[in-house]
Amino acid sequence: MAANLNGASANGVSDDAWTVKAGLAQMLKGGVIMDVTTAEQARIAEEAGACAVMALERIPSDIRKLGGVARMSNPEMIKEIQAAVTIPVMAKARIGHIVECQILEALGVDYVDESEVLTPADDAFHVRKADFKVPFVCGCRNLGEALRRITEGAAMIRTKGEAGTGDVVEAVKHIRTVNADIAKAKAALATGGDLAIAALAREIGCDAALLKRTAELGRLPVVNFAAGGVATPADAALMMHLGCDGVFVGSGIFKDAETPEHAAKRARAIVKAVANYTDASALIEASIEHGTAMHGISNAGLKPEEKMSGRGW
Amino acid sequence: MPSLTVGVLALQGGVGEHTGLLRKAAAHLAAKFDFTEVRTTEQLARCDALIIPGGESTTMAIVARRLGLLEPLREFVKVDGKPVWGTCAGLVMLAEEASAAKQGGQELVGGLDVRVLRNRYGTQIQSFVADIQLPFLGEAEKPFRGVFIRAPVVEEIITHSTMGQKTAEPVEVMGVFRKAEAVKGDGGSVEDIVAVRQRNVFGTSFHPELTDDIRIHVWWLKQVLDTARHKGLPVVSAV
Repeated sequence: MAANLNGASANGVSDDAWTVKAGLAQMLKGGVIMDVTTAEQARIAEEAGACAVMALERIPSDIRKLGGVARMSNPEMIKEIQAAVTIPVMAKARIGHIVECQILEALGVDYVDESEVLTPADDAFHVRKADFKVPFVCGCRNLGEALRRITEGAAMIRTKGEAGTGDVVEAVKHIRTVNADIAKAKAALATGGDLAIAALAREIGCDAALLKRTAELGRLPVVNFAAGGVATPADAALMMHLGCDGVFVGSGIFKDAETPEHAAKRARAIVKAVANYTDASALIEASIEHGTAMHGISNAGLKPEEKMSGRGW
Repeated sequence: MPSLTVGVLALQGGVGEHTGLLRKAAAHLAAKFDFTEVRTTEQLARCDALIIPGGESTTMAIVARRLGLLEPLREFVKVDGKPVWGTCAGLVMLAEEASAAKQGGQELVGGLDVRVLRNRYGTQIQSFVADIQLPFLGEAEKPFRGVFIRAPVVEEIITHSTMGQKTAEPVEVMGVFRKAEAVKGDGGSVEDIVAVRQRNVFGTSFHPELTDDIRIHVWWLKQVLDTARHKGLPVVSAV
């Protein structure tokens, strides 16, 4: 995708600040961002070629299993991870939890993920991300949700899959929905111009100027990674094939790994699959190297209240 | 092969940003170029010049190693002496040495007799945009909007040459940046070297590809053309 994402933001962030926030995400493209819960796991991820790590207290599959309230990680653990690696360190905050975001910013994390994988702290408002110097990534299930997050200041988007399941179906559904919505916006602009864009913006609940820019670019106006349910090299390559700029892998690396070496192999295999997602022979090698995948939970068996991707709006 | 082929290394990072700006820059030059993404040795072999983009240098090095591209890249830079430009992570890849690298160090392509300091200004919160004067663009030119994202700088020009049998040419400092708050008591140099050239290898700490300013891309493509003419390669004029 050669679309030029450079240029002015549509969310009140100054041009320079926006260039720097969105620019880091542009530099992560074609890469894999891995969930890690310890400095040792972060080192495994870095050695495997991860382009960033996401620090969190428990991997999503364990959050799912253990239940309870999932919150921002302990700052001490985040500091240990920052000290252990040289690649960017991201960390998750609860939806709407301004203070968790302030703590993460003060810790010097490179990106904050305002994430539905944690238990939401506010059922009415997401964080106003434009107010922060640290850039934010947020999840979406459709174009309207993505553009609402960007209007709030998010400089990177990830399409929500169902985290912690190892089932890629929700991630596929949501990137397909985003792609279909963008096609609709392009058609609206082509046939009805600004008026049609305004009508569509009302329908999907987003800023009309940002929707127009999306239609002109033919893609989201920020970098978009896949996230949630990606368990194998083939899953990761599938998400790239569907137009994602890169992939978050949560539980898929460390869940049910027999040894740290096995986790390292899985991590290397997924990096290879993303870098070579159009090369069948590389995908064969990566799939062999990956070994057994996490056991997983079928998304079809989850009750609506058990789904994380439905959190946020 | 009627036109010059310029590749952008596409292992990870800001690839499309460079190809987009290269296309715009080429429209201002009286020559024909092909721009292509490079992921394999075969694709690299077709290139007359190469950009190593921004991204994560550790990731690029690991992926390049696993794809068997590190040695061909070194040959491209050091033996063939073809024009190469690295931005940010690309500058790190083209340095002979890197400090603040990951535990155990990181593999580099090399070509510039410099030691870079990774993440010179700190984490993402310290990333910034600042005007820099680049004399090579012309004395009367307005400053360039330098986008520094977790940027490396050239910490030191190293004197021993690692350029094999060839006589080493000096490292030219092509741009410096003086950051007010970076001066105080951090032991670093007052002026940071943010653009360097040595023979066929050019590197910048910042990301011209994250701006709409084509001046550096135009300048670099002119160097590519000069090299091609010097080597007697056919250069086809754009009609």
